[in-house]
Amino acid sequence: MSRARRVAERQRPLWMLAPGGLLLVLVVGFPLVVAGQISLLDLDQYTFRQWLDAPFVGLDNYVEAVRDSSLPHAVWVSTTYAVVVTLITLPVGVAAALAAHDRFTGRGLVRSVLLIPYVLPAFVVGTVWRIILQPDGVADNALGRAGLDAGLWLNGPRSFWALVIVQAWTAWPLLYLLALAGLQTVDPEVHEAAALDGAGWWVKLRRLIFPYLRGPIALGLVITFLHSVNNFTLPFVLFGVPSPRDVEVLPVLTYVESFQNFRFGLSAAMAVFSLGVVAVPLLAYLRAVRLT
Amino acid sequence: MKAIRGTIALLLGSALLTACGSDGGGGTSGAGKTLDVLIGANTIYPEQQRRWFDDVSAKFKQETGATVRFETFATPNDELTRIQTSVLSGQGPDVYALGTTFTPTAYATKAFVELGADDWTRLGGRDKFLPSTLGISGPDESHEVGVPFTSRPFVMAYNKDLLAKAGIDKPADSWDGLRDQAKKLTSAGVYGLAVAYADSFDPWKFIWAMSVQAGNPLVEGGRARLDDPTTATAYRTYLGWLATDEVVDPAAVGWKNAQAIAAFGAGEAAFLPMVSATSKVTLDKSSVAGRYGYAIMPTIPPGATALPAGGTGAASILSGDNLVVAAYSKDKDLALALVKMLTDADAQRAYYQTFGELPTNTALAKQLQADPALAAMVESSSKAVGTPFTGAWSQIQLALVNVVVQSVPALSAGRIDGARLDSLVKEAQSTAQGALDKAK
Repeated sequence: MSRARRVAERQRPLWMLAPGGLLLVLVVGFPLVVAGQISLLDLDQYTFRQWLDAPFVGLDNYVEAVRDSSLPHAVWVSTTYAVVVTLITLPVGVAAALAAHDRFTGRGLVRSVLLIPYVLPAFVVGTVWRIILQPDGVADNALGRAGLDAGLWLNGPRSFWALVIVQAWTAWPLLYLLALAGLQTVDPEVHEAAALDGAGWWVKLRRLIFPYLRGPIALGLVITFLHSVNNFTLPFVLFGVPSPRDVEVLPVLTYVESFQNFRFGLSAAMAVFSLGVVAVPLLAYLRAVRLT
Repeated sequence: MKAIRGTIALLLGSALLTACGSDGGGGTSGAGKTLDVLIGANTIYPEQQRRWFDDVSAKFKQETGATVRFETFATPNDELTRIQTSVLSGQGPDVYALGTTFTPTAYATKAFVELGADDWTRLGGRDKFLPSTLGISGPDESHEVGVPFTSRPFVMAYNKDLLAKAGIDKPADSWDGLRDQAKKLTSAGVYGLAVAYADSFDPWKFIWAMSVQAGNPLVEGGRARLDDPTTATAYRTYLGWLATDEVVDPAAVGWKNAQAIAAFGAGEAAFLPMVSATSKVTLDKSSVAGRYGYAIMPTIPPGATALPAGGTGAASILSGDNLVVAAYSKDKDLALALVKMLTDADAQRAYYQTFGELPTNTALAKQLQADPALAAMVESSSKAVGTPFTGAWSQIQLALVNVVVQSVPALSAGRIDGARLDSLVKEAQSTAQGALDKAK
């Protein structure tokens, strides 16, 4: 490193980051420290009145969460469902983006309609799908008419797939949106050159278009995974509490421990675990885009 | 460590201080003061509730010079969040209206005023209240926090036409009798019972009632008794209605309470157990309007024809609202004056006439007893029994419901998985005992 560059680095006005940094500490850092603190306390309905004086129990809450609660099961359910949802949204989102990219009459309308599942509030999505999937509901009737076995969607093994289907339905437009944005960065000259060289559609797609999409799609996949893992409203509205075992996801379990069982300490420990679950793909992504 | 704790307390305190607060400084004269009251939002009568707020405030101003500011919460969780922030900051509503089953949890927080003999005198004496409504005010008479405000006992609606057609003159007083009547009443398109198996609250009330009637209060001396055979029998009876007796619509595995009411309202079920008087609003607009009645639910446990020794003939959980005064309130005297006003016969009559919820005031309740339309509610109220008074009750309640939730897949396939049910009940017992062991 040259001497001139070191001087330039020293003179960077880093203090200008102070307001943003302070906000970050207040909005993100402070609650995180409090959550960490609570996770080390035996904080419940008996002690929360003077919560700073609640008995300090070290890592007991973490041990209990792993050994005696449904946490490991919930982590498994949450991650598997989020991975499946992410894998489903990828081809659907990209296909929709490719379809809506070319110019045709009514393209604006189609592009807007495709976004509807994404902009609907999760509460509305959950309520509507709950009605569709309830016993003897719309889904059962449609399946029955097609000669397929109608059955239970909101409890039992199929509830996992109900959650996957509904979450995928609401999540795929994000992939579509990001893929579409990626497509628009493709230089028109690239298309022309490919056409002149007589490239077929698949070669064009794989060799020319996909490299442009890699960045936005990676971001879309990470966000979809994180949204799915962290989604509380949808499983809560679809299945209620107590959750059927097959859809006992991490956010609902954490909520129940806090607001139904009043085990705030245990719940905070679970929240810290969830942070670990979401940190893994996030770090992988940051590494991939070299922001570490 | 100490420094971190200090900083956190300071930051949290200052943040909350600005967030909420009540005016006033103390003393009994209320001129210029404001009392804050937190009460559940009434979704059935929202307009009437707003008017009632204004009326109460006007009357209280006339009596004491102080105004009352009402705030509402939508769900029990909303309320809990409010209690948490208020208790932590030492500022917030002076008076809360709490659901009866939530009162033990609120008591466990030690954030509410324990009523001494003087306080009761100022409220008009304990005699002012129906004895049965005082059953969930505190762990014992000398440690009470809750002042009974309204009573919402659970009863059973029945379709008069369907019963008459089947030659049944009145609903049975035992669960076995009810099941037999339900079998008789089940025919094409009509089921004997409408039961909300997917409701988050209904199932535990059935299991609790059948267990208590058989002599098992579920919690006794700090010990959970969910592993008692009476509880297993209760689950088998409750789940059996759909799985083996086939007197409930199979779709009921996905029903919430409102859907059970709707099915009964459509004339598709003969009995609708576990509803309060608020169901009247919906049913009077339904196809069974004018053709249904209310009766108390059976009080004789499954497998019996008379109440067994040690059993309690509970017709309902003790249900309704209690008023509690926050320990941090700076205007306790004024708060007690408001609680007195709201539980006096005049205010209780106005409340009953507006919202249809039964009074807890003895004098007024006696007058209402004469009304035949209310007979079932009044009887159920007098035979209501308080759920165990422990801060762990919320957890036990959830554990009881969980057994039903996890049994639904088998239920939907038309069977009760005995081994699975036993293991679920065992799990609920251990959760309940764990929660009781943590009680402080």
